[in-house]
Amino acid sequence: MRIVVLMKPVPDPGEERLGADGRLDRSVSAVINGNDEYVLEAALQLVEAHGGEVTLLSMAPAGMTDPVRKALAMGAVRAVLVTDPALAGACAWSTAQVLAAALRTLEYDLVLAGADTSDGGGGVVGSAIATLLHHPYLSHARKIEPFEGGVRVERISAVGHDVLEATLPAVVAGTQLLGEPRYPSLRGIMGARSKEIAIRTLAEIGLDDRPLGGAHATTTLLDTHAPAARGSTRVVRDLDTAAAAAAIVDFLVERRAL
Amino acid sequence: MTAAPALGRLTDDQRAIRDAVRTLARDRVAPRAAEIDRTATFPEDLRLLLAEQGILGLPFPERFGGLGADLLTVCLAIEALSSACATTGLILAVQELGALPLLLAGTEEQLARFVPGLAAGSDLIAFALTEADAGSDAAAVRTRAVRDGETYLISGTKRFISHGSVASLVTVFAVTDPDADRRRRLSAFVVETTSPGFSVSRLEHKMGIRGSPTAELAFDDVRVPVANRIGADGDGFGLAMRTLDRSRPGIAAQAVGIAQGALDAAAAYAGQRRQFGKSIGEFQLVQGLLADMDARTEAARQLLYTACEEIERGAPDAGRWSALCKLVAGDAAMAVTTDAVQVFGGYGYLDDFPVERMMRDAKITQLYEGTQQIQRLVIARALLARDA
Amino acid sequence: MGGIWVVGEVDSAGALTKLSGEAATAARALGEAGSLDVRGVIVAAEPDGAAASLATFLPVVLAVRSPETLEQTAAAVIAARVAALAAAAPEPPSYLVVGATPDGRDLAGALSALLGVGVLVGATGLAWGDAGDGVPAGPRVEMQPFGGRVVTTSAFTGDRGIILLRSNMVVAEPLAAPGRVEAGAAVEVLDVAPVRVVERVVAKSTGPSIDEARVIVSGGRGVGGPEGFAGLGELAGLLGGAVGATRAAVDAGWVDYAIQIGQTGKTVKPAVYLAFGVSGAIQHKVGMQTAETIVAVNRDPDAPIGEFADLFVVADLVAVVPALAAALRARVG
Repeated sequence: MRIVVLMKPVPDPGEERLGADGRLDRSVSAVINGNDEYVLEAALQLVEAHGGEVTLLSMAPAGMTDPVRKALAMGAVRAVLVTDPALAGACAWSTAQVLAAALRTLEYDLVLAGADTSDGGGGVVGSAIATLLHHPYLSHARKIEPFEGGVRVERISAVGHDVLEATLPAVVAGTQLLGEPRYPSLRGIMGARSKEIAIRTLAEIGLDDRPLGGAHATTTLLDTHAPAARGSTRVVRDLDTAAAAAAIVDFLVERRAL
Repeated sequence: MTAAPALGRLTDDQRAIRDAVRTLARDRVAPRAAEIDRTATFPEDLRLLLAEQGILGLPFPERFGGLGADLLTVCLAIEALSSACATTGLILAVQELGALPLLLAGTEEQLARFVPGLAAGSDLIAFALTEADAGSDAAAVRTRAVRDGETYLISGTKRFISHGSVASLVTVFAVTDPDADRRRRLSAFVVETTSPGFSVSRLEHKMGIRGSPTAELAFDDVRVPVANRIGADGDGFGLAMRTLDRSRPGIAAQAVGIAQGALDAAAAYAGQRRQFGKSIGEFQLVQGLLADMDARTEAARQLLYTACEEIERGAPDAGRWSALCKLVAGDAAMAVTTDAVQVFGGYGYLDDFPVERMMRDAKITQLYEGTQQIQRLVIARALLARDA
Repeated sequence: MGGIWVVGEVDSAGALTKLSGEAATAARALGEAGSLDVRGVIVAAEPDGAAASLATFLPVVLAVRSPETLEQTAAAVIAARVAALAAAAPEPPSYLVVGATPDGRDLAGALSALLGVGVLVGATGLAWGDAGDGVPAGPRVEMQPFGGRVVTTSAFTGDRGIILLRSNMVVAEPLAAPGRVEAGAAVEVLDVAPVRVVERVVAKSTGPSIDEARVIVSGGRGVGGPEGFAGLGELAGLLGGAVGATRAAVDAGWVDYAIQIGQTGKTVKPAVYLAFGVSGAIQHKVGMQTAETIVAVNRDPDAPIGEFADLFVVADLVAVVPALAAALRARVG
């Protein structure tokens, strides 16, 4: 199985900041987007069971290689990084175009993506990419099982799960339920050094004449401010149980919650 | 984590390995630390984890399945583990210590026989030099290895042997020539603990590193093939000393790790604990304590890293570097953990908080692999020999 | 200028979702402010019921009968038809408003690709803005990324876009008199790769969904096991709310992932969030910190949740939960 895992380096959750230009400050140290790690783990398990290789595909500022190295250390065989200064501030639509174009230069049976990203991403890029490439899109996966020529996915639904099937190549977006990602072994870390990270510019994936990236973003940030402060915490301690319960009820009444 | 060495000092690989071990220590080791200490149980689950992650393979040559890491890298891993749990950091440190005689002087055949299991972490190895009457005076060892055809018969008792009860291999130092000069009396042997005549006669109850089994080992005519002797007859003492020159930084790393863990806990506590309407971290006396703790820890760390680099590049005064870093780090760990308890005040005395355990753990770093007093002798001798 | 289309979502029973009514209300307000027509679209196997419900919020609703939705995933089927209708319409819509559900996101992504327009995901507020700041007149979309640490206002740089609206941000308001339902024009459906639904499995119910709940009673590691969650369920029942959980409780197997709140689970914004045995670590905090009122009960006085809760009760939840249930029952009785 040839699997491409879409990976987005994001700021460490809790550390996200907007720069003065209103864009996400990507100088903050980056980690692999949480949900991408789950699908990467799923991909690694799939190739361990069915043979094949995992390739990483990422659109990111140049030099943001630490998260990519970690993913290589976990077991991906190579990485493709699309980077171009024009892409700074790219919107979801641009991102989908870029990743779809990059995928057209690769050979694969399955594309895996995380359900959404912790840095403000909305979880729509996977669907857009699949549509652009005319691949079936199977989202919210908690289980992924390939079969001859196709893939079966259990998709989390509001009432349980649906069992989906589609032909390959397909795009699957996965969730935490796919299973805990492995720690990269030290051997993996040291081996990652010799794995290929291929850098691609927009021109190399055939997009240099298109209106993409920050300058052509379909959306723009107009304003940002801190949310209204919550107000101080009222702390209650050393009350007996009945008094504590009463304190909660009174508080809820005071806040018109009851 | 409040500390990070200047980035330029470490290679990308070293940084990546340090960070990976730190993550593992934070996620999987730290939650177990208090329980390991309270139950004084060897954490077999963590030994397995270290093996699976390749961490126990760090000191061993790649051709036998190890990672061929340099001394600094091994110490980075010991330091990171020890911040969370000194007992767990010791698993790697002792694996290195026990195997060093083989790595320094073993034949290819011996390496091929023993190292793969050690690198995989499925076999643990202990270092058995110390005896009841031979601590600092290592040459006073009395365990005897008598040649009998193509084997030796080893009899005697070793004391204070870390991992003695969980290791499958023990590097034993025994007297092969009682009449030779002090430094030529001993030889080193790899003994398989399944050998008849080998037994664990006692397990110590210790102040600290309570999860690490410290054993008394009894050898009753244990038969060992000549092929298990490391180096030639009489090489034992020198081999032991060369081993300690290379293993002491591992203890220094354990000490730096313990100090860092204590400092992090104290700093976090100082930020949260409120008295007199403020967090105690706003009071200068507390700030003074924390600053001194940080200075001592960082100084010990930088000296350790320098010592590793010097030893790795084959500095002629490797022994001096080794003793310097262990001396400074051990004293730093004791001072920093004591101050950490102080920052916590009365709560620091309770086992609800980790610092009293860290203080108990720190003490051993001033005692084993050569007491601080022995370290001073080693350093002074190196200075005086230099000027002789 | 084209109008605003609201693509309604239909639940497993064929009924219109509550969020669709909220989206329709929000879209109507936008349309009034920006002088744009607003209409709804329902694509379903049996669209009439849901279309009629949506028509209580909008003057015109297109009902598109699509038996394919029985056997295929909704997003591909709906996107293929909505995009075709949009292209064929005498005045193609400028903006589409969709509920920010899993199906809604899938739909929005597909529509973004088919129509070539941008998407703003996770709106917590919608308003209309005049031209200025380099953008044309159009929707001004409020969002709260990074778990609510910052509030942003965004706009489309052009005159088209797709907006995904989060639940519980807008109060659904029906029209004084319902609008009309029309059959959607027969159009050549666009080619979107289908995904077959082989089976729909309904799990044992975990109670009301946390996505739409006004009150959430949440439990963490401190709850200790599934039995403890039964007590929380009782409280939720008394308060008319839903039960939520932290990752720790889900990983321990005490509760289903469907109710996990936090970084890799759901983000919620209830009026009331009652947290029992929840430490309040950042991974969970980002999923609930914008709740209007947060009450936390925890034995640990240093638990991080104590720093951002409105009321922090340092006590053992094992005792407090039944006591609170008793106190609530006493009020009703």
